[in-house]
Amino acid sequence: MLSRYIIRRLLIGVVQLLGLTVAVFFLIRILPADPVSRLVGMNASAEAYGQAQRQLGLDRPVMTQLAAYLGLAPGQEAGLLQGSLGTSWVTGSTVAAEIAAYLPVTLELITLGFLFAFAVAVPVGMLSALRPGGRADKGVFVYSLFAGSQPEFWWGLLFVYVFFYQLGWAPPPLGRLSPMTTPPDAVTGFMLIDTLLAGRLDKFAEAAHHLVLPVAVLTFVLSGPIIKMVRQNMARALGSDFVLYANAAGLPRAIVARYALRAAMAPSMTLIGILYGFMLSGAVLVESVFSLGGIGQYAVRSVLAFDYPAIQGVVLVITAISLAVYLLLDILHALIDPRIAY
Amino acid sequence: MGNRLTSMSIGAFLAAAVAAPVLAQEILILAEDVPAGLNYDGPTAAIPASQQGMVTLMEPLVGYAAGAVNDTGVTLSDFATFEGRLAESWSFDEATLTWTFTLRQGVVGCDGATFNADDVVYTFARAKSVSGAAPIGWFLSNVGSIAGFGVEVFGDDPAAKELGDAVVRIDDYTVQIRQSEPNQLFLPVLTIFGLLIFDKETMEANATAEDPWSHDYVNNTNAPGFGAYCLDTWTKTEEISYVANPDYFAGAPDIDRVTVRRVPQSSNRVVVLQTGQAQLVTGLTPREFDALRSQDGVSVGGVVGNENLFLHMNFATPPFDNPLIRQAIAHAIPFDQIIANGYFGQATQWMGLVPSSYPGFRASAQFSYDPEMARSLLAEAGYPGGAGLEAFADAFRLSYVAEKESTLGPIANIINTALLDVGIPASLDPLPQTQFGDRQLVKRDLPFAVNDQEKPIGVDAGYAVQLFFVSPENGGINNMVNYRSAAVDAAWAAARVMADPVARTEAVGAIQDMLAADVAWLPIVEYKTQWAYSSAITGLRWYPDNSIRYADLTMAE
Repeated sequence: MLSRYIIRRLLIGVVQLLGLTVAVFFLIRILPADPVSRLVGMNASAEAYGQAQRQLGLDRPVMTQLAAYLGLAPGQEAGLLQGSLGTSWVTGSTVAAEIAAYLPVTLELITLGFLFAFAVAVPVGMLSALRPGGRADKGVFVYSLFAGSQPEFWWGLLFVYVFFYQLGWAPPPLGRLSPMTTPPDAVTGFMLIDTLLAGRLDKFAEAAHHLVLPVAVLTFVLSGPIIKMVRQNMARALGSDFVLYANAAGLPRAIVARYALRAAMAPSMTLIGILYGFMLSGAVLVESVFSLGGIGQYAVRSVLAFDYPAIQGVVLVITAISLAVYLLLDILHALIDPRIAY
Repeated sequence: MGNRLTSMSIGAFLAAAVAAPVLAQEILILAEDVPAGLNYDGPTAAIPASQQGMVTLMEPLVGYAAGAVNDTGVTLSDFATFEGRLAESWSFDEATLTWTFTLRQGVVGCDGATFNADDVVYTFARAKSVSGAAPIGWFLSNVGSIAGFGVEVFGDDPAAKELGDAVVRIDDYTVQIRQSEPNQLFLPVLTIFGLLIFDKETMEANATAEDPWSHDYVNNTNAPGFGAYCLDTWTKTEEISYVANPDYFAGAPDIDRVTVRRVPQSSNRVVVLQTGQAQLVTGLTPREFDALRSQDGVSVGGVVGNENLFLHMNFATPPFDNPLIRQAIAHAIPFDQIIANGYFGQATQWMGLVPSSYPGFRASAQFSYDPEMARSLLAEAGYPGGAGLEAFADAFRLSYVAEKESTLGPIANIINTALLDVGIPASLDPLPQTQFGDRQLVKRDLPFAVNDQEKPIGVDAGYAVQLFFVSPENGGINNMVNYRSAAVDAAWAAARVMADPVARTEAVGAIQDMLAADVAWLPIVEYKTQWAYSSAITGLRWYPDNSIRYADLTMAE
């Protein structure tokens, strides 16, 4: 039953991706900007402009461009159907290779950020719900308000100032490794894994050290809403009939709390899934503050330069990951709550 | 490159074994960006960070001699004197319009190839092939009137894309280049990044049947040339590092290794410089440079070179077609306030329409802040106190590049307030760079804008005049304000081919007077190009492309 559901979801996902691809293709072309002038510079002649326009294929009718992008133009360049996301107009590299370089940086950053945020939020949210109005609950209220009241880039700059510049505890915000350190060969693109695969514990420690501040910022900012969500769902579960019955039956407090937590987790997981999809591109400000070349920075650079193939590639990949995360969440829901049937 | 690096390492080890230990000099530079490509005929040619990579790895035939050192310790360029770079000497035959270059011998590139005439011929042949995404090499050759580099190369005839006999190899170390007409821009264009000389041997070794001119290789892997540094590592848009070329024609650079790291946040570049972990930073805001000026251990060097700020008023959009309105606006601008608050004193009022450092500049624009005069001119134009101008509210939307908000935002605000003060209904309209560029270059329909990004790459007042003020049908490539003057067009057509430099300078000066009288642009300030660096670093020199030549730098032990 579940496998049929997954297959159906995957098929729907493909249709969604195709629809989005076509929509993005046309949307970026109706924006009032010209990628050719950026390419040739402001001082190029009309002939140079025309040459650049031909090179980008922008002199062709728009439906021909779409057919080429989708890979439906026989005899021409490879397109989506052939597994090609095209070539970046800014760098001349393939979009797939660039995304493969940028995406792991963001995935590493936000996955660690979410893991730590989750590790902090669940016990704190539980504690807060178990004693409403207590010290822990009041502390959570202040913390959530405090962490969520300022944008993450501001916290990032503040963390850099305090922990790098003033205290000297953190490394400079210069990326995943010190500029003077030779990075290991990129196998997975995840620096923590690649340093281990290369057997370089010193570089692993350095990479982990460089991640401490950006992950701390993300954890700080993300844990606020997750704590609130866990607390509210937990409080609701604790007030439900089945908890009342469990208490009346004299079950130990820890077991009752575990039952309540299980009931509270499903909606919290939904929030985490939505936040994860959002942070794929939303972590751009943290990436920028810490000079981490992630997918968010790549997306922003591509949009500002009107690099059509890169924009289309980023949208496609981020959407595909978000769909995969949502699918995973639905499966987790089913595992957490046996009442859910597909 | 691997072998070369290995031999360098062995050499360094042996030297250390027999002599007193010598510490390798390394510097870390933090910048807004690092090269996204190294191909001047490729997709990143217009990006300054990519140009910085090109001039580090490659060398031109000729350059400008060093000039005076200014009060901040930065050496200027002497635009009146050309000096040989890869060319040792040259001569010009006026009768045949042919330049004969004698090339340097014994110059070795990073991949072990020895520089000779074949490299020069290859470079021009590649430019004429117009096979890259943006044909900058062809464009510069065309600007310098090299024979055969006309617009016919963009037609269907493949023969028009072949080099022909305009650039010929005489022997291993002699090359001749022929012009189609007298044109004093020939030597200036040879100094520009778009005609840096390639290492033919390495380029051809990396060519493919689909890409015979090795664009992919130069876009993505390396730019093989005969420059001061060799590429060591390069992660696009993240980091690039170079090691010194021991066979550089001017001798091995003082700094052995240069690493350039992309740090998007300018405030982070500042704090890392302050801690001493980086030695040089670029692309700060005027406020940040100003704050660093008083820091111990940090120097801020700057030069009023070719960066400027002007007000763009489109002649095709009423009421900017009214000379009295243009003059009224010219007298409503608080120049001193902009210099003090927008640039923290690191700018001067721009008195002309071409960079004042360029040969042929004439101080022809003498506008002063006089709000009373502005009001009086508005009344004379039929808009007393600005009454009636509200009909043009859309035209008075003052645009600027939104990505430059931290620098241009305060300045646009000052101008906006000053215009409102005299009765002009201005408002602010920040636009994304690409949209700004589209409307400026392609549509040419931007009515009113603050612009700080026009730097003519040809160091010549005449080149700037042709670029910005000649009508498009007569060669005005970037006439963004739709300025049309038959007198200016005719005067430039005559001046362009004048063989006598004195007569040409006078003619170009007269054109600048006409432009100022028409307020073709409203020049506001020339601001300093600035860099902040460790006080241990000396030798910084300004070049008109605003890229640093790392080989100029020395660092105290």
